[in-house]
Amino acid sequence: MALNLKRKRAGDLESRKNPKLDEVMDVNSENEEHGENESAHEDSEDSGSEGEEWNGLGKDVEMQDARNVDPSSSKSKNPAPTGEEVRAIRDATDLYRSSSFKLQIDALLPNVRPKLSRAPPLEKFLLKLHTFLMQLPAVEPQHPLEAARKLLKKGVAVPYCLPLPIEDTNWKVSFEKPEDITLVGSWPNKVSVKAKDGLKYGVDVAVQMPDGLFQEKDYLNARFFQKKAFYLATLANSIRNSKSGLNVDVSYESTAGDPRLTKLVLTPKADGSATDFTKLNARVCIIPTISTSSPISLHRLSPSHANIRVNSGEEGVHHPSPLYNNALLTSYSPKLHLLAMYNHIQSIPAYADALTLLRIWANQRGFGEGSKLSVKGFENAGNLWPALLELVISGEEPSSSGAVNRKPLGKGLSSYQLFKAALSCLAKHDFIKNPALVKSTATHKFPASEYQEHCSATLVDSSSLVNAFAYVPLGCIDMIRHEAWKTLQTLYSSSLAIDPFTDVFLHDHRDVATRFDIVFQVDLSKAKARKLSPHESLDFGSATNHLLYNMNAILRKALGDRIHAVVFLQPSSTSDVPSTRPLTQAYPSTSSTIFVGLVLNPTHAFNLVHLGPAADSEDTAALAEFQELWGSKSEMRRFKDGRIAESVVWDVKTADERSHVPAMVVRHILQWHFGLSEEHVQTWQSAYDSVIRLPKEIATKYVRGAGSAMGFKGAMQAFDRLVKQVKALEGQIPLSLVNISATSESLRYTSAFNPVPLTQSLAASLPPNARYLQPINIVFEFEQSAKWPDELKAIQKIKLAFFEGIATGLMNSVPGTKASVVLGSGDITDANELMDKAYLEIVTPEGWAFHARIWHNREATLLDRILDDHGPMPHVVVPKKRKQAERKGKEYLDAQEAKEVYDRRFIHAPRHHRAVAALSHQYPAFSGTCRLVKRWFASHWFLGGHVSEEVVELLCAQIFVLDGKYVGSDADIPENTLSVVPSTKERGFAMIMRFLSEWKWEEGGLYVCLYGPKKEGEGEGETGAKKVEPKASSGGVWTVATEVDKDGKVWTKGGPDGIVARRVRALAGATWSYLQTIENGTFNVQGMFIHPTQDYDFVIQLNPFVLPRYVHNIAANEGLLGKGKFANARAKDQDQDIVLPGFDPAKSLFTDLQRTYSDTFRLFADPYGGDAFGAVWDPTLKEPRPFRVLGGFSSVPVKKESEKAKDKGLVALNDAGVLGEIERLGSGLIKAVVKQR
Amino acid sequence: MAPSTSTTVVNGFTLLPVSHPSSSTHYIYARQHVAPKKAEASTSKKADLPAGRTLFLVNVPPDATERELVLLFKPCGTVEKAILDFDVQESQEDDDSDSEDEKEAEEDAMEDDAGPSSKRRKVVKQEVPKVVPLPKNPQRTIRKTGLTAYVIFLDASSLERVSSLASKTRQWPVSSEEPSGLAHYSTVYKNLRPPLDSIQEHVDTYMELFEYKLAKSKQKSKYKKGEAVVDEDGFTLVTRGGAYGKTLGGGVAVATKRFQRSGETSARVRTKKDKGEKEGFYAFQRAEKQRSELINLKRKWEEDKAKVEKLKQSRKFKPY
Repeated sequence: MALNLKRKRAGDLESRKNPKLDEVMDVNSENEEHGENESAHEDSEDSGSEGEEWNGLGKDVEMQDARNVDPSSSKSKNPAPTGEEVRAIRDATDLYRSSSFKLQIDALLPNVRPKLSRAPPLEKFLLKLHTFLMQLPAVEPQHPLEAARKLLKKGVAVPYCLPLPIEDTNWKVSFEKPEDITLVGSWPNKVSVKAKDGLKYGVDVAVQMPDGLFQEKDYLNARFFQKKAFYLATLANSIRNSKSGLNVDVSYESTAGDPRLTKLVLTPKADGSATDFTKLNARVCIIPTISTSSPISLHRLSPSHANIRVNSGEEGVHHPSPLYNNALLTSYSPKLHLLAMYNHIQSIPAYADALTLLRIWANQRGFGEGSKLSVKGFENAGNLWPALLELVISGEEPSSSGAVNRKPLGKGLSSYQLFKAALSCLAKHDFIKNPALVKSTATHKFPASEYQEHCSATLVDSSSLVNAFAYVPLGCIDMIRHEAWKTLQTLYSSSLAIDPFTDVFLHDHRDVATRFDIVFQVDLSKAKARKLSPHESLDFGSATNHLLYNMNAILRKALGDRIHAVVFLQPSSTSDVPSTRPLTQAYPSTSSTIFVGLVLNPTHAFNLVHLGPAADSEDTAALAEFQELWGSKSEMRRFKDGRIAESVVWDVKTADERSHVPAMVVRHILQWHFGLSEEHVQTWQSAYDSVIRLPKEIATKYVRGAGSAMGFKGAMQAFDRLVKQVKALEGQIPLSLVNISATSESLRYTSAFNPVPLTQSLAASLPPNARYLQPINIVFEFEQSAKWPDELKAIQKIKLAFFEGIATGLMNSVPGTKASVVLGSGDITDANELMDKAYLEIVTPEGWAFHARIWHNREATLLDRILDDHGPMPHVVVPKKRKQAERKGKEYLDAQEAKEVYDRRFIHAPRHHRAVAALSHQYPAFSGTCRLVKRWFASHWFLGGHVSEEVVELLCAQIFVLDGKYVGSDADIPENTLSVVPSTKERGFAMIMRFLSEWKWEEGGLYVCLYGPKKEGEGEGETGAKKVEPKASSGGVWTVATEVDKDGKVWTKGGPDGIVARRVRALAGATWSYLQTIENGTFNVQGMFIHPTQDYDFVIQLNPFVLPRYVHNIAANEGLLGKGKFANARAKDQDQDIVLPGFDPAKSLFTDLQRTYSDTFRLFADPYGGDAFGAVWDPTLKEPRPFRVLGGFSSVPVKKESEKAKDKGLVALNDAGVLGEIERLGSGLIKAVVKQR
Repeated sequence: MAPSTSTTVVNGFTLLPVSHPSSSTHYIYARQHVAPKKAEASTSKKADLPAGRTLFLVNVPPDATERELVLLFKPCGTVEKAILDFDVQESQEDDDSDSEDEKEAEEDAMEDDAGPSSKRRKVVKQEVPKVVPLPKNPQRTIRKTGLTAYVIFLDASSLERVSSLASKTRQWPVSSEEPSGLAHYSTVYKNLRPPLDSIQEHVDTYMELFEYKLAKSKQKSKYKKGEAVVDEDGFTLVTRGGAYGKTLGGGVAVATKRFQRSGETSARVRTKKDKGEKEGFYAFQRAEKQRSELINLKRKWEEDKAKVEKLKQSRKFKPY
């Protein structure tokens, strides 16, 4: 070994003499050799020579030649990375979000690109097409209508656009073979991106029409377009001809539904020939173009030029036609775009990848084609993305006003950096106010001010003059801005439940339910604009486009700061309304329904008053405009501060209705401006409301009986009154009351139903199965005192005395109050004497019921003493056996249970209550979301028995608190942040459903920042990495941690267990996919809350007449909510107490059955007035097994197979016996037990 | 479903079919109670479960009451008493713990456990206060299914007659005093809300008893104030209190709880002195550090790579 080292040193000296070739390599090889050196040093250790070892670590030896190292060193497990590797790794971590982000991007990109191995047939086809087109014979010039008639005979309609040619036009259409045929668009540059929903890749072929066909004045009155249309029709006719040998289906397609931008679409017929490119899933589009050398002069096409000059009202006045001009310019652009993109790809290495990422992002958000709802205006926005990237890379054209403009970015950025820059440009640049003109080498032909004046939103790329935003309604531009902002937030934030990469690129975000606060389905077939401008319609090229664009603009104006975006959605191509049309059809067909989505701004969305200009304002134009916008809704009003102003006021009767204000605005505007009445505009808000409301008949009785003091507000007031009354008892009870805290969902706005009071007289007017009174839980906290006994059982007894004192005191001081001391829950759990179980039941004169408990913190210490591992004297070693024995002992088990209840009831519940109540105040939609989600959990038979109400609140809270930055802060939350959280309960509900269907609780828990942002380095290791072992029957599997509950088990200890949690996921998935059917109009809100019962082994049907809560049933039968059967039964009611707070025998039966048969079957029920329980047997019990004394289930001996067989004493589940027992336990309650399997 | 006109025996248990209600059959497993072999365990148990005339039952219906069991076994002979849900106490006594007096203490505790309602102490000492029970209508207790129970007959001969019950399915005697079903829940609801004055009385008497017991245990206790307690081996008893604990009589100090738990004397952790060697002082240290950083970098990279590769396998990267 020593020899070896010496040799190495010699080699090293040699290498030192050589000049260093490459600095970088040297550094890296240094590192590398260091590693090898170390292992060499390890080897040398047994030689025992100190000096050698030291040298081994020295700098000198590090320079040794790698070849000299003995082979054993290469076996070392973690060799230092080579220079190349280091560079790659460093790049990945520095230039991307993280190194794994880069790897994920690398894995993603190949999946969205076409398979080049399938391209050869396409190439052959294109070659054939080229030859064929170049040989086409010319067609003599003829009158346009005559030419059209000739073609129509052959079955090809000429897609002439408005204004149509007439008989006395004096120009002619003709055809000559193309001057040039070029492959354009993303295909030749190899940046094609797979489209959504299996739509085809587009291969664009630009066919340049000869200059000779055109004249200088052809830009006028759509003459150019008519000539183009004829050219296209002729091409279509000849390609379709079987003699062409091309064997393709030919159809028309119009970009953005504009007939002026019609192109030919060739789809291959599968014939297996050499030119059959069916497998590539592509289609060839033929776009007629024109060269810049044509006689038409470009300067005539600036946005301010008026090029449609027919029948305008006033003589001699011509309105500018920016869109028309833009459409004409589009015919120049394909080749220019191709070249520009090619240059970018050549000069910027990451350009192609960035473009692909951007388009995946857009596709996933519906800014592209798709057979699901996509954002209107972006269907054919293929040019938008390169233009956007160009804007980011090259910067903006300096404006004449000298404003600060976007500066160019470097060319060496990574794909991710470019992608992020493009998004941030989208998010921050207001394309509507500031037209963006990409900086180009030559100056732009038309100044930005012209665009600003005549176009709504502008993005013009460097090479051409086309506005990429020309067809996009303004609201949809708001939407892409909003989406970009949202994505940036996701990329910046570090503590989200979902992986940012998945969220940004892999998830489909096109669903309307989670994206928009309010969704409308509008039937356009009867829509008629109140004011129609024929000129604008001509400029738009199609009446539908014009209508939609206008509708969007008016809605946007009317909604104003209520919204972030008003978006129109329509699938770009479905089987009913395909984007392509047969050649016989000259004009694109349009779908008559459109979806409107609103993203609300909750700070203003629900304002009842919209203030217009003051009545005495000078600006009469503004006044007229306001009146024109609002029509009959606009009224002159005098306000409290003395102002008199034109204004719009929305009438709202209940708190629920307030969230309908934006919908009211939309309905009014559509009615006033477009004549669309109620039945043409559909929303689902009221349907959601009815899910958490009492049946109408009962509700009116409550309103009559209790007046306005109902709902959460009423409950709060009742609570405040009670606090005052109890505090006034000072002196009558031995200790003074320090604090009364609430722990009830009725006092934090999250109970599924509005809390209602119930007085004796009101109860008498209600049917017996609607007389449920939900008690409100509160906690009393007394001052510290040494007078308490220092023993748990005695403490529980003393509590009784306190309750008795308060009860007597209250009944004396407040007439009409009824108070009684309740000893416990009335089942077997009462046997635990260490546990806090008694409470005080107070029914106020107004009919509110409260359940009050006493929190005495000495209990915790006493319980801990029993539970403590060490016992009172930690240094005394307790024999292990005895310790185990204690573990099994009744006292220990009781104490354990008691401590759990204590912690949950007195420590966690009040804290949770305060946090949730604060959240309800902060976010208006939070309470509604909780209520809907609770209703969902209840109606699918999970709530109560398996999923606690608190954990539902936590799950809902997580989509509101986000990373907890704004928790408990009084500062205004930025509007952008507010737009990410749902502003209506419908959206919140959909988001939770989506979350539940996707949540992988097996892989890690959830951290909810309910109490403020997550602290650095906390919880990551515990909640993030901890895996939950899927066990069949091991308590709850969900981990929902908060700052005060690091383990995340306080609210999920009792369930759901693995089986139930999987069931929740499956049902949420089903609900989620049902939510998607909003798109095809078969959606019914109540359907999501109807539980399928056929999966259960047996169903226990209850008698709805005896259930006090039946009124809460999701599908309560109004007929069953009638009066009792007999008139004299009612008379009997008068005498006895019929207000029984919290009396719910169905729930008691459920808990009894669940506890009694916990090892026999799993029971499910709807706590909100469900009239059936469902149960599933434990499948293992059906197998015969040896008899055990503590088997824990009701069994029957299995008969021997034959007389000879040995009697093994096997037993199996006695299912018939169990069902009989259930029927007996619930006699009077149970109508029938139906065995289903 | 109803088999057995003949007796079935499973693992030494006689099968007693009962129909309850008439439509379905429930099976109770019965066996003569055999006292556990462990000698000392039997001492305490013998009194409760006399061998020879105790019947051990398994799988009693979850809502069965003592009265119903008595009625069921009436044909075999007079039943002294029926005990339901014995298993908790049973498991407690499974341990083979040590001293006799502890046993006694435990027994005492057990009697206390039996609850105030059944409190009937032997009047050994002078006027022990009695707890007034809360008024209560009879109600059932619904226990876990697969319940065990003991039936103690007056006469040992009754046991033999039990097997004759097995010959045919018998009707379960339903006691009408304790309601079931909906009526049961109404009763429970009422029982839980006793009149306020009775609560007052109940708590007052309970506290009297509590005070009495407290005083009693104080009297019994060996510890007197101001006197150190030294046991026969010469150890002084020390309890917690003061800064370092105290002996009851004073004198010897005892360590704090913190010290006992952690072995540390105070909350202040003494800052350790710097290590003799400075970090990054020698070139090799720096090189070493740099190298290990790079290795870590690569390891993380490889890990990420593997993770992404795994996801790739599951086709996760197909966005649509």
